[in-house]
Amino acid sequence: MGKFAEVFLGILTAMGGFVEIGELTFTLNAGRRFEYALLWIVLLGTVGIMVYCEMAGRIAAVKHQAVFSLIRERDGFSAGLLTLVAASLVNVLTCAAEVGGVALLWQLLSGWPYRALLLAALVFFVVVVWSTPFEWIERIFGLGGLLMIVFMVLAVRLEPDWASVAAGFAPSLPRPAGGRDTLMYTFYGVALLSSIMLPYETYFYAAGGIEDRWKPSDVTLNRVVVIVGFSLGALLSVSLVLIGAEFFKPRSLDPALPGTAALAAADSFGNIGLYVALLGMFFAFAGAAIETALSAAYNLAQFAGWPWGLDKRPRDASRFALAWIAVFVLATVVVMTGIDPISVVEYSIVFSVVVLPLSYFPVLAVARDRGIMGPYANGPLANALGWFYLVLITVAALAALPLFVATHAGQG
Amino acid sequence: MKPTLELMRDVLDHDVVDVDGVRCGMVDDIEFAEGAAGAPVLAALLVGPGAWQERLPALLAVVSAWLFGRARTRVPWGEVAELTQSVKLARRASELGLGRLDRKAATWLKRLPGA
Repeated sequence: MGKFAEVFLGILTAMGGFVEIGELTFTLNAGRRFEYALLWIVLLGTVGIMVYCEMAGRIAAVKHQAVFSLIRERDGFSAGLLTLVAASLVNVLTCAAEVGGVALLWQLLSGWPYRALLLAALVFFVVVVWSTPFEWIERIFGLGGLLMIVFMVLAVRLEPDWASVAAGFAPSLPRPAGGRDTLMYTFYGVALLSSIMLPYETYFYAAGGIEDRWKPSDVTLNRVVVIVGFSLGALLSVSLVLIGAEFFKPRSLDPALPGTAALAAADSFGNIGLYVALLGMFFAFAGAAIETALSAAYNLAQFAGWPWGLDKRPRDASRFALAWIAVFVLATVVVMTGIDPISVVEYSIVFSVVVLPLSYFPVLAVARDRGIMGPYANGPLANALGWFYLVLITVAALAALPLFVATHAGQG
Repeated sequence: MKPTLELMRDVLDHDVVDVDGVRCGMVDDIEFAEGAAGAPVLAALLVGPGAWQERLPALLAVVSAWLFGRARTRVPWGEVAELTQSVKLARRASELGLGRLDRKAATWLKRLPGA
């Protein structure tokens, strides 16, 4: 195992970002509405999240500094606090959606009441994170999330027109261009980009590198972990777009619940397909719940200067431990109100695009600084890509809210 | 250590770490004293809500004082042993009055199994 097992940090991070409950249904819907026309956004977003996670991971390996320490240091106290508040909101809302998603999956399998299962999910998460070392959380939920590969197999089995799929990777507008369709397409494009580049992935990934005690010699490992993890996440996203286009569109089905996604697997592979898909979704949602809850606690602890990390006993990082427990409790309370987990995620995606520039600027500022990073500072490629994506997400952040309002959150 | 020290960039808003490597807050503010010939001299690091609240817009400062109190700890500059990415202290957090809430929360958490 050893170094090889580090790849699960990348897989867990990517799964929690690419196929959590919100993005799962959102990506299926993007395929159902626009077929392959948004595939290029998946590619664009994936390269973007790779660039920033690689930088954040490199800073973690070389300087053992986590993202929120950088945010406070470089954005200043007030802008940093604003980022912390917005990021915490995104984390709690996303965590709420995932806790809800896990309870929905358990309900499908058991038929027990939803609210009782929400409480069971809360106990499950607190016990798992309390008692499991970080490296085993990575391995269990990263490995379990690999069951989602069933959706990749399914996408191939649906025999899409590969020439049209390839054409989808070139930037385009829907035809006929202009009017309502273009507005919807732009909203979906911005939201998809934002949901792939979710900031909590970077917070979690860098903190995970520090939890795993990366050293400067691990910068190549960091690169491999990022490329493998996020390529896998991207392939899953592409598969979901294809399934949306090939399975849900012709049947006029609206994949509004996670269970509907499993139906597509059941249709092709029978009961085994159904159970593998449900189990894969369970690990992906649970991984995302843990990722967002821990990310919220990491952020708070890093911003306030508390001891943090799952490698410490809870008594040695007491406020950090109380913080992640509080996030799970708050998240459960949010979904207990009966609010639909998927709509919760839609709001959190819009919030997260707004904090993207504030989160990513400090990472770029430090990663490119030779005075701090020495020989491990960005090369010209990382700098060029970093600046390109910083401009792109700033434009996306400015466009997100008006688009959200104008399209009624993508409802048309 | 670098020959010149940029306080805003290299000290303010950096982690404070004690002699055992335990994080015990952030440099929330910096205190100056009047030195010889009236020149300002770096006197202490300030840590805690009472220090960072003064950097917030007035309304937020009032709300956060109500939420988090106004406690702040003064760490004399002489207690700083080393400046790297973080500010390393020469003594333990408990001796300098830092990290009090963490220790308080720990006494409560200790009762739980596996803590």
